[in-house]
Amino acid sequence: MARDFIVVAMPLILHHLLPIHWAIAGAGIALITLALLFLANRRLGISTGFEDVCSFVLPIGYFSRDAVRLARGWRLPFIGGLVLGGFLSAVLSGAWTPLWDLGIFDQVIGFGHAGKLAWMFVGGLFIGFGTRLADGCTSGHGIFGLSNFELPSLISTVSFMAAGIVTTQVVYRVLFHL
Amino acid sequence: MALLYLALGTVFGFVLSRSGAADYNYIQAMFLFTSFQLYGIIGTAVALTAPGLWLIKRYGRTVSGRPVTVPLKPQHRGNIVGGLLFGIGWSICGMCPGPIFVNIGEGKIYAFAALAGALAGAGLFGAIYTRIQSAFRLPRLVVRAGRT
Repeated sequence: MARDFIVVAMPLILHHLLPIHWAIAGAGIALITLALLFLANRRLGISTGFEDVCSFVLPIGYFSRDAVRLARGWRLPFIGGLVLGGFLSAVLSGAWTPLWDLGIFDQVIGFGHAGKLAWMFVGGLFIGFGTRLADGCTSGHGIFGLSNFELPSLISTVSFMAAGIVTTQVVYRVLFHL
Repeated sequence: MALLYLALGTVFGFVLSRSGAADYNYIQAMFLFTSFQLYGIIGTAVALTAPGLWLIKRYGRTVSGRPVTVPLKPQHRGNIVGGLLFGIGWSICGMCPGPIFVNIGEGKIYAFAALAGALAGAGLFGAIYTRIQSAFRLPRLVVRAGRT
């Protein structure tokens, strides 16, 4: 029986669930990307949503572009869906509870709650500034742009993968040891 | 239409949540080359989206018969520098933009701090856009573009 296989997959932080197979997850992401375009003529892209939120509070030129204002109507509900999807994932696998668990970060780096929040805020600054400067993130450049054979997306994707690899290697193999 | 976007986002968020794409350990394992999971997810997504995209563009219309338009992203120095900065942030947080929202939904408190940082970073970028525009060869700021 298939049950005799020894499962060596690493559990998720969320309720120690075993992840779904990468091929199924990848196919699901492809389906949603294609559905967005075919059903609603939308190009998948999530980090532009940061601009949508900023546009409500920062009345400056960059955030009052038509490109931002006219896309809020689809991107904000889509982002709301992301939150809802995470919520349902937690509820359907047991219960929704506030979590502080951060996997190997807790085992190797530690810090307290305040330190973790500061760490995340700094990382968030890099994400917010970097994705706006690169004009996209893993979804708009990595999934859609690469699938559409766009050179700026290839350049951006190679750049963020390389920087991610170097940063994690420095954090977990040089500064702190796994 | 808002309900359609909400539904698609919900499925997307659920898949990110259950696949490891919104999991700190899996992101680090990808960058440490100790897990194939995330490479498999992104690789499969691109391998299936590419032919689908080609077919939709060839068909040229959406399901309701309206013309399909794929806005292209400009190429400039920001692709490299911004990409590098984003990669550092992705590693630090163990989340890229989508998973920030998914982790908030899952109840991970620290994801709010990541979101606050991301909004501050995007706000800063918008505030200094005209000052860094020429250095990065960014496109001219078009506030009123008509229809997009």
